[in-house]
Amino acid sequence: MVRVIIVCSWGMSTSLLVDSLVAAAEAAQIELQVEALSAGEYAARVEECEIVLIAPQIRHLRKSIEKLATSLGKPVALIEPFYYATMNGQAVLEQVLLLVAGVQEGEEDA
Amino acid sequence: MSGVIERSAEWFERYFVPPLSVIASNVYLQAIRDAFIIFTLPLVLAGSLFLIVANAPVPALAAWLQPYQSAILVPYDLSFGLMALFLAFGVAYSLAQYRRTEPVQPGILAMVLFLIATVPVNGLEKMTVGDLLPYLGGEGLLVGILVGILSTEVMRLFRGSRFAIKLPKTVPSNVKRAFEALVPAVLLITLIWVLEWFISSHSFIDPATHKQTAYTIPILLMRIFEPLVLVQDSYPAAVLEIVLMMLLWSVGIHGMNVVMAIALPFWLSTITANAADPAHATGIVTEPFFHIFSHLGGSGATWPLVIYMLRSRSSQLRTVGKVALGPAIFNINEPVTFGVPMALNPLMMIPFILVPVVIVTINYLAFSLGLVHVPVVMQPFTVPVGISGFIATGGDVRGSLLQAINLVVSALLYYPFFKAWERVLVAREEATARQEENRATVQAEMRIRATVKR
Repeated sequence: MVRVIIVCSWGMSTSLLVDSLVAAAEAAQIELQVEALSAGEYAARVEECEIVLIAPQIRHLRKSIEKLATSLGKPVALIEPFYYATMNGQAVLEQVLLLVAGVQEGEEDA
Repeated sequence: MSGVIERSAEWFERYFVPPLSVIASNVYLQAIRDAFIIFTLPLVLAGSLFLIVANAPVPALAAWLQPYQSAILVPYDLSFGLMALFLAFGVAYSLAQYRRTEPVQPGILAMVLFLIATVPVNGLEKMTVGDLLPYLGGEGLLVGILVGILSTEVMRLFRGSRFAIKLPKTVPSNVKRAFEALVPAVLLITLIWVLEWFISSHSFIDPATHKQTAYTIPILLMRIFEPLVLVQDSYPAAVLEIVLMMLLWSVGIHGMNVVMAIALPFWLSTITANAADPAHATGIVTEPFFHIFSHLGGSGATWPLVIYMLRSRSSQLRTVGKVALGPAIFNINEPVTFGVPMALNPLMMIPFILVPVVIVTINYLAFSLGLVHVPVVMQPFTVPVGISGFIATGGDVRGSLLQAINLVVSALLYYPFFKAWERVLVAREEATARQEENRATVQAEMRIRATVKR
């Protein structure tokens, strides 16, 4: 089970992406739990996830979000704006899987 | 043309985004905004329902409900009317989340500080709930924000400092936490209480009731900020706010959230005054002024663009249009902003800022000339265009009409820019298709040559 937090603003538009991402994961038979949180809720609950994604409309917070995530060893990425715009769950799922693969590679190296 | 567009996009990214990001990423502004959205807005919206019933838009119904009006307003007074009290909790709680410290204790302390700041130190037994109510709602918002920040920051300062009470390791951590909070709590309570005592020993004649009234921290703050509330409720301020919102969105940053963190206390003060006496309301620049009457289909009034996109010659725009249609009904337009895209697109940025400014101007004129009833009711921004204009004005059909006029204006102004951008995209798509074709032809030729050689 991979738990993903998407850090966003209101959670209104991101909830559409969450649905599409979960659907894509189900189709690929991957166990994925996705939650959209504000930056404050994210700071309080970052421990509850493995992967952090950032919605494009709050990319100005990218630095502080990344700082917290990397200090806890959690991979983080900005969602490609066009994938976000088209609510492309498939493409974002690939982004998540790349991040997961990156973590596993790191573990093998260590 | 696309060369120019790409070069200016880079220029914006380099010189424009960093300063805007600095404002937008301020942690206090973020905490205030989260507090409004998570803690205060549900109360405001729930309370507004009772306000609509108490001032029913249908005359016959209004006449029938008239004797019960003050009773119907009780749930409004004790939800919407107490928003500053809960905002104090929310600001402290949200800020603590950003600071990654325990959030409930500073939240509770903030509410206590807020109450101490609001109630005069002398003559409490003579006061009625009704005397206090205004300062627990719209007129106490600034106090709520200030004590919220104060509570979390002072508690954080004391945690682990040498002034904190030290307890042996055998004490359970929950007990320890309660004691840790004790010193900053007593300190802050004393500070606000002494300040309130000093301030409330001075009094003034209330112009509305002609009674001798003691000053309190919120009354004093309102006296200081009243000019600012009046200045905010003006056409130049409305234009400034919409330009800032759209500049931020133009570089892909959530403009509404940033501007709201600063402006919402003023918007709420103004609309609370409107709601208190809907028939004689005059306040214009409020939350519905932007969310309901200006951002039709999402920030930037992009509803008409979605319709254009559905029948576009560009396949990218058609794809975006299909995804954008559903969200647009509920005034959500991230698909438009990042899909067209509007953000960091020097061509589309022009109408993306211009159209809302024109619409704000039309709205301001319509409200200030009394052509449409000013907004009195707050509702979720996701209520579809048409219905929302009727509700926001407390049941004025001209509210919906104003929205319709704005949609037409938006459609006309966006059209030439949309067509120009469509041409750029179609040219790009054709160029890519031609490249693909060329590559296929070259490959086929090479295959033929290879076979011939053999």
